[in-house]
Amino acid sequence: MSRDRLVVGRNVRKVDGVKLVTGGAAFTDDVQIPGMLYGKILPSPHAHARIRRIDTRKAKALAGVHAVLTYKDVPRVPHTTAGQAWPEPSPYDTYLLDSKVRFVGDRVAAVAAESRAIAERALALIEVDYEILPAVLDMEQAMAPGAAVIHDEPDSTKIYDREHNIAGYILREIGNVEQGFADSDYIVEREFRTQRQQHCPIEPHITISWLDTDGRLVIRTSTQVPYHSRRQVAMILQIPVSRVHVIKPRIGGGFGGKQEMLLEDICGALTLATRRPVKIEFTREEEFYMARSRHPQRLRMKMGVTRDGIVLASQLTVLATTGAYGSHSTTVQGNTGSKVLPLYRAPNMRFECHVVYTNNPVAGAFRGYGCPQGFFAQETLVDEIACELGMDPLEFHRKNVIRLGDTDHLSAQLGEGKEGLPRLVRSCGLPQCMERAARAIGWAQKRKSLPNGHSHLRRGVGMACTMQGSGIAGVDWASAFLKMNEDGSFYLQVGASDVGGGADTVLAQIAAETLGVTLDKIIITSGDTDITPFDVGAYASSTTIISGGAVKKAAGKVRAQVLDLASKMLDAPVDKLDCGNNEVFTTCVCRKAVSMTDLAMQAMYKEKLQIMDGASHFNTDSPPPFCATFAEVEVDTETGQVRVVHLATAVDPGTAINPMQAEGQVEGAVAQGLGYALTEELVLDAAGRPVNANFLDYKMFAAEDMPKLTTILVETDEPLGPYGAKSISEVPINGPAPAIANAIFHAVGVRIRKLPIRPEDVLRALGAKRAANLEEEALLTP
Amino acid sequence: MFDKVEAFYRPANVREALRLLQSGKGQARVVAGGTDVVVDGDDSVRFLIDITHAGLSYIRRRGTASVIGATTTMAELEASPQIQSLAGGLLCKAAHSCGSMPIRNLATLGGNMANGSPAADMATPLLVLDAAVVMADAKGRRRLPLAEYLGNARSNRYARSLVVEIVIPDPPRGKGCRWSFQKLGRTAVDISLVNVSAGLHLDSRGRVKWVRIALGSVAPAPMRAPGAEQRMTGRILDQALLAEIGAEVAREVSPISDARASAEYRREICSVLTRRALEECSAPAGCSL
Repeated sequence: MSRDRLVVGRNVRKVDGVKLVTGGAAFTDDVQIPGMLYGKILPSPHAHARIRRIDTRKAKALAGVHAVLTYKDVPRVPHTTAGQAWPEPSPYDTYLLDSKVRFVGDRVAAVAAESRAIAERALALIEVDYEILPAVLDMEQAMAPGAAVIHDEPDSTKIYDREHNIAGYILREIGNVEQGFADSDYIVEREFRTQRQQHCPIEPHITISWLDTDGRLVIRTSTQVPYHSRRQVAMILQIPVSRVHVIKPRIGGGFGGKQEMLLEDICGALTLATRRPVKIEFTREEEFYMARSRHPQRLRMKMGVTRDGIVLASQLTVLATTGAYGSHSTTVQGNTGSKVLPLYRAPNMRFECHVVYTNNPVAGAFRGYGCPQGFFAQETLVDEIACELGMDPLEFHRKNVIRLGDTDHLSAQLGEGKEGLPRLVRSCGLPQCMERAARAIGWAQKRKSLPNGHSHLRRGVGMACTMQGSGIAGVDWASAFLKMNEDGSFYLQVGASDVGGGADTVLAQIAAETLGVTLDKIIITSGDTDITPFDVGAYASSTTIISGGAVKKAAGKVRAQVLDLASKMLDAPVDKLDCGNNEVFTTCVCRKAVSMTDLAMQAMYKEKLQIMDGASHFNTDSPPPFCATFAEVEVDTETGQVRVVHLATAVDPGTAINPMQAEGQVEGAVAQGLGYALTEELVLDAAGRPVNANFLDYKMFAAEDMPKLTTILVETDEPLGPYGAKSISEVPINGPAPAIANAIFHAVGVRIRKLPIRPEDVLRALGAKRAANLEEEALLTP
Repeated sequence: MFDKVEAFYRPANVREALRLLQSGKGQARVVAGGTDVVVDGDDSVRFLIDITHAGLSYIRRRGTASVIGATTTMAELEASPQIQSLAGGLLCKAAHSCGSMPIRNLATLGGNMANGSPAADMATPLLVLDAAVVMADAKGRRRLPLAEYLGNARSNRYARSLVVEIVIPDPPRGKGCRWSFQKLGRTAVDISLVNVSAGLHLDSRGRVKWVRIALGSVAPAPMRAPGAEQRMTGRILDQALLAEIGAEVAREVSPISDARASAEYRREICSVLTRRALEECSAPAGCSL
């Protein structure tokens, strides 16, 4: 740090805060376009069926209906809905509308009508004759001989093995795992299962599209990826990119579910068909099963250690299902290996994964992106190994976790859909994270003795360490543009997509810091494909480091222009100038200064010069943020209920550009992580239909359920990040599930290896343990 | 939701409400707090009759009974000194477990009964208190035992009648009388997986003089556990009897498996919560536990 920072590292208020809390017209649905129609999608009632015949005449004849689209009316362009950089690593296995449906909720037809009620009536009037096909609902059966082939259409591409329903396959090894196990004194192998979790953004997916007066297609949409959506919509609707304008307003939460082109194509198609504005908004029920969810996985993990507790080899074998379409299929699952195994410095690692299609709702990107599954397995297994060795799990972590200066070679083998780049740890606050979170939970004392008398309530503490990335190395990139206004303020244009996490504020802080102005001098527009330069979007924990990097670069260039002019005005060399507090001043004793306002007026009306510049930015490495999660739980041994008493999370995000927002990200992530650990699961019946697609039956953690939270930021200085920043939004979601599972073991001595950890599973495990103990006693009694 | 609703009425008294219900010809639905009706979103409904202004929000004494108007909210029950002092605040505790505060500000006692849910949180404490429901229809008013009403609340039998009030005869009082409400949900704000209410009157020698046990969410309607109650009467409440009663209620219930919990789990929880309820009832009375 050269001098004290004035804006970065400060708890400034969100730049969009006032408008949000005063209910300003900020979100997608806050506009009413004259003549707007309501779009509605007819969802498939069957998990797997071919449309033999579809008759839309009655629906079209209904007064107020303006369009009814089926596969017969739209171009057939294989694509992926995953909002990823081109060329997307996900299979091109999806169609705007198709003659085959592959899950309950798949698109059959779409209607645009003058009211939602008319649209719903029209859906009911569409006559569909289905040839019902055998459905593959169990992922364990998907590759079995004779299983129905879900993607038998000839024109889809990039599918690994369509005959066996395998969307993607990954096998990577470093070192020699067999040798590693042979050298190990102690080997443990266990199986884990994780569930289908839904993002549950407060604002469901919503898109409004219309034709502007030049006939261009404007799409106002709740998205994390405006630029990818523009490219995908243009391709699917077969119109030039230049004819599409995507606007991302304020977003009511994405969590990865909106890293997806989900409604933009069909809404745009309805607008093109009707020449009218059209709005489609998912109901909460539709959001549950027609949008995306977290990939369910079955994980087999094996680890070999020496007698002293040094990890020599780890092997993770995963079966995951992507549902009916392969959105994010190999990339999410790739992360399950590449971001998880290298937490330990084992020289030998092997990761193998099959991602299979099933006739289930489609999985996709979700905060953590494959890591919550992997860390649940790894950190629960590690706890078991430590306990078996009679070692404190904290000590086991201290001995084995990745360190400053280490290189993670597995990442080099597992990039986004291709070979990646090795990952060098240039900043690492993990040791401090562990120590501080351990202290917060009272680890040393509580591991030894907890006041567990004869009560049915038993306490325990558990821990987990996790990491993530900061952007996709060599893939994610962003750009920013800045221009100066007459009053010395700056207009900042970024493609980055603030989805509620506060990216606009953080990016404005970076610009203000670099330019030496106060935050109110930065006006930011983000995520508008006509106005702002390119950005891949808000995902992979990339915005602060990648988009922020672009902003810092652009601001640096603009700062140079400002200093050039100031040098003239103040008659001082540039290297004797600095800016701060909305002025440029000389750093010598004479202390001459010119205000940014005077400088801007000089530039515009005397020099005829618009001070402006832009920059692009990417990284060839993805610096990991680190996290230590410690949980104290109370288990009711009679009901199996688990109450989390205290959750301490310590995160190394590099520099926290805005510590208050960073803490907010941690607390939001652990709330979702707690739900993932204990209550959240989208349950399907035997026919693949959702049975709990509502908040009454799908239980998220609400305010009353939250335990005491301790949130600790352990700041480090990351050389690759703007002002030393890495990322924070994803990594804290990984820890709660394993930390809680380990705390349960500490409390009552049972290992739960399936999520969510339901009371009845805990009770069953306790019953089994009691029965085993009795049996053992019986054997010992002669 | 409610796309077919043509009219929303707010009658000023019960008579007017009944007339509207009559003229609705089965397509009218009575609404108070709306916390169930709105969630149902029944598309066959053409008329909504809001009875919150029909003079049914009250908590009174009448002779040796407490009387609660149908549109009294959960929040009002919780805050009422009269209800707080009735059966050790049993109804307050149950009311407090209904949803979140915004829901408790709207949800009504009558609605909780009329919705006919087997999980209705107010049903088991009212069953334990031998409550009755007062119904009004074109012919006048009549009083039904709550158990009888709950068994038919979801049938058509009361389609043209209105729940007017709940009558709670004064329960046994005194040193040996204790009450308990137990509820298990997945999160703080949840429909009961199981809820249990109990009322217990022990005589001076610690024998069970009077007992009521009611269970929710474990049968088509909230139910009493007569077998368990009978087994207890006249006996000393000790661990052996608690275990016996736990097993007995598990036999008496008929839970289902759904997305919330399995039948086996619910059955087991019935035993646990019943035992806990009875323990809570007996502990301060200084019995052998």
